[in-house]
Amino acid sequence: MTLNLHAVLETLGFTATFLLLPPLIVGVIRKTKARFQNRIGAPVLQPYYDLLKLLSKSETISKHTSWIFRSTAAVNLSMLIILAFLAPWTSFRPFDLASDLFLVIYLLALTRFFTVLSALDAGSAFGGFGASREVTLALLVEPSVILCLASLGSVSQSSDLAFVFSFKNMELLNQPGLWFLAGCGLFLASLVELSRMPADDPTTHLELTMVHEAMILENSAANLALVEYSHFLKILILLGISSQCLLHAVPYFWHSTELIRAGASIACILLMAVSIAVIESVAVKLRWTKLPEFIAYSVAMSIFCVFIALGKNLN
Amino acid sequence: MNELLYLMILPAALALISLFLEVKLTRKLVPIVTWWQLAIVAFVLHPCLQGTERMQFASGLAIDKMGTYFILLTTFVVSCCVTHADYFFAAAEAAGDAYADRSLRLFYASVNLFLLAMTTVFLCDNLGYLWIAIEATTLSSAPLVYFERNKFALEATWKYLIVCSVGIAFALLGTVFIFAASQRGTPMEPTLNISELITHAQLLNFPLLRLGFIFCLIGYGTKAGIFPLHTWLPDAHAESPAPASAMLSGALLNCALFGIWKVASIINAAQPHSHVHQLVAVLGTVTVVAASLLLLRQHNFKRLWAYSSVENVGLMVFAIGLGSGPLFFLQALNHSLAKVALFLLTGNIIQASGTKKLNKMHGVIEDCPIWAGLLALAAFAVTGAPPFGAFVAEMSMLSLSMSDGRWILALIMTAAIAISFVAILAHVGKVIFGSGKQGFKSFQPARASIIPAILVLGTLVLGVGLNTEVWSGSWSVIR
Amino acid sequence: MVLDTFEALAMLAAIFGILILGTTHLRTNLSFYSLHTTAIAAVTAWIANITHDSHLYLVAAAVFAIKAWVIPYFLNTVIKKIGIGTDSGAFIAAPLSMHLGALLLGLSYVISLQIPGLIGDPDSRIGSTAAMSILFSGVLLMLTRRAAISQIVGFLVIENGIYLFAVTQTHGMPLMVEMGLLLEVLVAVMVAGLLLFNIKKSFEHIDVSQLTELKD
Repeated sequence: MTLNLHAVLETLGFTATFLLLPPLIVGVIRKTKARFQNRIGAPVLQPYYDLLKLLSKSETISKHTSWIFRSTAAVNLSMLIILAFLAPWTSFRPFDLASDLFLVIYLLALTRFFTVLSALDAGSAFGGFGASREVTLALLVEPSVILCLASLGSVSQSSDLAFVFSFKNMELLNQPGLWFLAGCGLFLASLVELSRMPADDPTTHLELTMVHEAMILENSAANLALVEYSHFLKILILLGISSQCLLHAVPYFWHSTELIRAGASIACILLMAVSIAVIESVAVKLRWTKLPEFIAYSVAMSIFCVFIALGKNLN
Repeated sequence: MNELLYLMILPAALALISLFLEVKLTRKLVPIVTWWQLAIVAFVLHPCLQGTERMQFASGLAIDKMGTYFILLTTFVVSCCVTHADYFFAAAEAAGDAYADRSLRLFYASVNLFLLAMTTVFLCDNLGYLWIAIEATTLSSAPLVYFERNKFALEATWKYLIVCSVGIAFALLGTVFIFAASQRGTPMEPTLNISELITHAQLLNFPLLRLGFIFCLIGYGTKAGIFPLHTWLPDAHAESPAPASAMLSGALLNCALFGIWKVASIINAAQPHSHVHQLVAVLGTVTVVAASLLLLRQHNFKRLWAYSSVENVGLMVFAIGLGSGPLFFLQALNHSLAKVALFLLTGNIIQASGTKKLNKMHGVIEDCPIWAGLLALAAFAVTGAPPFGAFVAEMSMLSLSMSDGRWILALIMTAAIAISFVAILAHVGKVIFGSGKQGFKSFQPARASIIPAILVLGTLVLGVGLNTEVWSGSWSVIR
Repeated sequence: MVLDTFEALAMLAAIFGILILGTTHLRTNLSFYSLHTTAIAAVTAWIANITHDSHLYLVAAAVFAIKAWVIPYFLNTVIKKIGIGTDSGAFIAAPLSMHLGALLLGLSYVISLQIPGLIGDPDSRIGSTAAMSILFSGVLLMLTRRAAISQIVGFLVIENGIYLFAVTQTHGMPLMVEMGLLLEVLVAVMVAGLLLFNIKKSFEHIDVSQLTELKD
């Protein structure tokens, strides 16, 4: 195996991007929201400082926890790093890893499984109902994510997401509608999956409404830093996938150079972060009973995707 | 173009004036001007009456013989109703529940707009304009239904507006289909012009035309009150004031049926004996049967007449299904005359007795013999009993459908007409005779009876005058 | 199956039409309706661009001005004045009716293959699918919702579907007819809006399923 300098640089660049980008996205969201509320807000790089601060603090752990609670943060982070290598969240990828659609979806589900487990492990009331809400939401969102990705896969005749999202697939070339709908469906789904605004307010710790924050209430210091970082990484991956869908919907990118695509991928993710901030500034958090109504929109998008896939395959 | 102005200027001007004029004056002025309008219509359209096939006013606006008859009938009905409305409002004032000036102004303005819209319906030679005019009749008559300003009137108006608008939307879809048929047939300039469509009917894309006709039938049928779509009709007729109910029944339903007739004449020209006509005839029969069964259990005097209107609409649709224009008009004419008389008389009785409930009305003959007599005559007329015009029309229709080989439909129709005859006469009999007086409040029997008497006489004359043709068996005249 | 721009826009209109079904929040409904109508106006403009038909541009502008701006604005004021923000309930839950609407989109594709007279015309298929789906959405909206204002929106959506059918299948009806239709719809909505005030005043709700005083 000859080590090619180009490949090494590419790999390093890719790894650096997915390791360094996530806190920046969160920083962008927080900054935009602050500007919307007429505040100056913390600097964009504040999440990095927060993570460093957390790492240097001493940890407090409840006596009632078991090894599950201890290991969850590490397990989740490692799974998300694997996902970052597998899932098509950017247009550039250094290795040709086959990333099966179901592998990606179930790895995401597995991280949730561990998060929920650790929330239950601590034995606090908040962890319990946070976990219950998280699982309910996941149950509602799951079909939409699967259907969106599966209809893309069905049109391209492959379940390999790397191939589906590779800009090389001629079957998908002329389907801007499909890509656009899948992008919208996945974006709406990720808002819920990531516990962002209409589903959950990430900035409050009001025990009656919180979902994600309730689950990580017991974590502290380095443990919390890892959990937070995993969550940021998840934001990057999910927003990345939906932004890739939207990029594929623009015919221009099918014929552009790698570099432009790479730039556009990052720019699109940051743009989505801004749009999340806008949504969170203008929208209010929905009542729990109204949430299915919101998720239904995502599911409707996925149903449209399925129709397009059906129409394509039947013709 | 000038003629068009003559036909439309009076109602349009009156609609505007009546919003500002003193109400007392409007009440007298509107009837006078509307009778004038009738004279003008007769004068402008007299070439058509004397044998000219068609009068073209502008592109898309023309009138034929049938349209002329209908336009005269409509103007006549409206004239009668507004003339009677003066008495109606005076009686309401005398009884102590006078209507507010504001609602009276709106009433007269709407009546004139309504007349304008209905006049336009018969002048349309373009399916698009036809649709617009028919929808305009809905919108301009909505204030008439809401006249009483109470909860019931509100509910009836809402149903009327929504059901008719949505129903008519389907007629628009049908119109689009017919337009597409003119585009996708043998090459020709796409058009919505009815006379052009009729001349080039053979060139049209027939499946699309048929589809278009079915949608138009559903759409305009909703407006006319064909059976499963009639739900708005009894509510609107029962809750509006008597002159407005009379106009809805005697003029508005004809407009919608005229729309169906126009579209049917296109499909008739394209394929004279298609199954579509069978469908229309069956729909007419179903409507008559359903209405006659619904007539059996009625508790409200005005709803009784509303369902009788549904029955008559069924008969007219049946006539359209037979492809006979004259029979359709004859039935419409007789129904309009008799039903307007009935609604106006019913309005008088309800005003005097203060109730609409059938089971609380009795002994009208002791209170006011003139009304009782006229009511009985008009009821006979509307059910198609022998000496009256409706009998001639119904008899001819049944004979025609027998001779066309549709004897099953004819038999069902006969049974249904018999049921409705019994039902109506049973209800009316209880109202007229029954036990004891109910003590009418202040009323002027003579003044209130003029218009209904004229109308009843009219349908009687029609019956007697047309008799000879029917009995001599010269069907060609009718056909 | 590659969609032309106008077909894609028609589909977009159909999708917005279905999204109207997804919520009982009346203002959101109206915003979606506005977007939906804008897409339809865009279809018209695009077809005008293809056929070089100047009158269609005029119709597109009028549709945009009246149906996408004036009517939603008017209905929004009505909502504000009567102070009822959400539909009091639907006979079929809103998300479910949206999914039903999505399924009906598939059904309308199947039906559009069957329309006699249009069978030999593959160009028109997507347009008629979209139009029919909008028609279904409007009917669904009218059948499943209780608030009177949803009925008006349903009527408008049905009307839009028919209009879209006319535009995609026949490249627009004569100008006078189109303008007459627009005027008629505007007046109908105004009259219905005024009636709504009165309904709110005398019944203290705008729930049409409770308007059952009149019966035989």
